[in-house]
Amino acid sequence: MSAIVVEARKLSKRYKDVLALDSVDLKFEENRIYGLLGRNGAGKSTLMSILTSQAFPTSGEALVFGGSAYENDAVLSRMCFIRESQKYPDDFKPKHAFKSAALFYRNWDQDFADRLAAEFRLPVDRRIKKLSRGQLSAVGVIIGLASRAEVTFFDEPYLGLDAVARQLFYDHLVADYARHPRTIVLSSHLIDEVSMLLEHVVVIDGGRIIIDDDAENIRGSAVVVSGTAELVDGFLAGRTVLHRETLGSLASVTMEGVFSAQERREAQELGLGLSPVSLQHLIVRKTMGDAEWSAKPAEKPVDEAMEVPR
Amino acid sequence: MSRVVAVASMQLINKWAYVGTPLLVLGGALALSLAIYAMVPTDEVKYGGGSQAPFWYFLVLGIQSMTLVFPFSQGLSISRRAFYLGTLGLFSLMAAFMTGIYLLGGVLEEATNGWGLQGYFFQLPWISDGAWYATGAFLFVAMMFMFIIGFWFATVFKRWGTNGLLIVGFGSAAVLIGAAALSTVLQWWGTIGAWFAQQTPLSISGWAALVCAVLAAGSYATLRRATP
Repeated sequence: MSAIVVEARKLSKRYKDVLALDSVDLKFEENRIYGLLGRNGAGKSTLMSILTSQAFPTSGEALVFGGSAYENDAVLSRMCFIRESQKYPDDFKPKHAFKSAALFYRNWDQDFADRLAAEFRLPVDRRIKKLSRGQLSAVGVIIGLASRAEVTFFDEPYLGLDAVARQLFYDHLVADYARHPRTIVLSSHLIDEVSMLLEHVVVIDGGRIIIDDDAENIRGSAVVVSGTAELVDGFLAGRTVLHRETLGSLASVTMEGVFSAQERREAQELGLGLSPVSLQHLIVRKTMGDAEWSAKPAEKPVDEAMEVPR
Repeated sequence: MSRVVAVASMQLINKWAYVGTPLLVLGGALALSLAIYAMVPTDEVKYGGGSQAPFWYFLVLGIQSMTLVFPFSQGLSISRRAFYLGTLGLFSLMAAFMTGIYLLGGVLEEATNGWGLQGYFFQLPWISDGAWYATGAFLFVAMMFMFIIGFWFATVFKRWGTNGLLIVGFGSAAVLIGAAALSTVLQWWGTIGAWFAQQTPLSISGWAALVCAVLAAGSYATLRRATP
């Protein structure tokens, strides 16, 4: 097992009447890409703020490289967290922000920053307060990537970025990570888009960690079975059903668990289709509460951003 | 230490905030003052308050340091301590530099008999009456005072939000009004007036420096738990 670089111990955060984090226990290993997934307001930004000591927990402990990051230059100099709503000094231009980052990050790669700025078509000479939402996100993404900090947090970095820019970010993240391995924590509610990048997935809902597992394990933990409703239901009798959709006499059912080779053959003989479940689909079902959904027919997911493509 | 210096250099990357704007405000105020002096049809010596213009910008600078530069410094994983020392250190340097300009301006004014207009912008009565270092100390402390007041109020805002700012604002006002009422009831005004009359620019800067030190310490204590 690799070294633990970030650890949360019984971390709780209360804002007046809201419990934003509820006794969170977490460990992030070095040189992995983590996805911190969850709905808006689930506690993703709060968790990242506390881990980087930008905010303070109500109780519990946050450790980075074995110590608290609070006022600890030895720890702070090794991490980077540009927030989704990052503020910049008045009249700063992107090039000023990059020069600033170069002062504080030992591994800062100016060429890389310049290249990224060109690819994102970021006007580095325009004042930051005049930038569009997407361009503002690009500034944060570039600082996060080019700083090459050992622990880098990205807080919904894609906001306002167009599809091309988002793909550029994902591609550069993976390529640069391969050359310069480090621990990357990516918070997102666009699960399908980032799922291919993630090695490990942490799902947070209502301030609680509800999934903390390898991305592969999660993908393998459920199967979609499709065919005529009667056959599908008969085949899945007694199984845990996460979700059921019908269209005429056809049904598509998401089942939690794994089939044996024997069961797979049976499904084939019955003419049932088996397909892997998407991470997003699975997480949407999980965060909506399994029991409630197993019995009901398909309804619209409540959060538009987590809408399952059908 | 190097990170403290880096915090200062970071705020000099864009030269406007700490160099360009203060000089521009000072230059603009000087030009306007001279234009007005030239228009006043009198042979008497003229004084103006235009040289205080940059001081109000320092108040804004103090506020922006906390509301904009501090959140950015947090994004770059800069400790609160390094941010505080670097920012206050940089402002001290700038205040010293501006004080130098004011003193030189005063010398120039003296030599040119008020820019040939009998108009004085830097050399003001009382402030410039004593030794040059007394004038310098007064100007420097006054600049620091403006910056720290802005910084301190913004720190309170960052830490406790609008409500905190209102409570502290009304609280300070209530204390001042209470002190004034007390002075009236106890008939202290004569004594207070006499005390102020005795003060020199140097002794006033001493007292103001004390207030600055208290506010600076208060800002740091508040900043220690502030969030971006």
